[in-house]
Amino acid sequence: MTFAWKQAGLTYNRYLAIAARAVRRSLKDDKRLIAERRGESDLKFAKWSNGKQGEIKNLADANAAASVAKANAPAT
Amino acid sequence: MNSLRVARAALRVRPTSIRAPIQRRGYAEAVSDKIKLSLSLPHQSIYKSQDVVQVNLASENGEMGILAQHVPSIEQLKPGLIEVIEETGSKQFFLSGGFAVIQPNSVLSINAIEAYPLEDFSADAIRAQIAETQKVANGGGSEQDIAEARIELEVLETLQHHVK
Repeated sequence: MTFAWKQAGLTYNRYLAIAARAVRRSLKDDKRLIAERRGESDLKFAKWSNGKQGEIKNLADANAAASVAKANAPAT
Repeated sequence: MNSLRVARAALRVRPTSIRAPIQRRGYAEAVSDKIKLSLSLPHQSIYKSQDVVQVNLASENGEMGILAQHVPSIEQLKPGLIEVIEETGSKQFFLSGGFAVIQPNSVLSINAIEAYPLEDFSADAIRAQIAETQKVANGGGSEQDIAEARIELEVLETLQHHVK
């Protein structure tokens, strides 16, 4: 069985995150505000090479960019 | 010398004589007809090893109802409804997808990212989102955007089906 999200080049984690986001957005206003605040993640990272810190990136942005690149790459 | 042999014999005998009463099953410890359900989200646990009668869930292999003494298996859940039937009544939750692990001895663990009772959903918000994602899914965005919109659409349509 091949899942549609897998064919589109998404990871299972990403698929779950999208489904969860849709569920959170469908809640009634009071619950939605609480849930969406909780759903935000804020993590930054930087790659160190030769003892020097590289550019500090937002993990969520970097992940999105990586999955776009993966989706556009020819399927193997 | 003789006493030593007796002691050794006693040593050999003891383990089985201790284990035997545990293996015997009396009326008091008969098989329970309840499932121990744990429904856990990253931020909350809705059920914590609580006794319930039956759990109906939507797995990728189809809808299934789980009673006590179910065959152990791992099921990938679709974004969909799960129904927990307790002795006092039943509760319905919409799960955003995850895994149900049916363990031996009537233990059921369900992991999901989001789970909410149906009454927490707003039909208007769902309808608005469906219109929006349909636009994206049929639009000329990147492949990634279209794939994401399709996933959302599937979730939302299931949700709309249940929320009246």
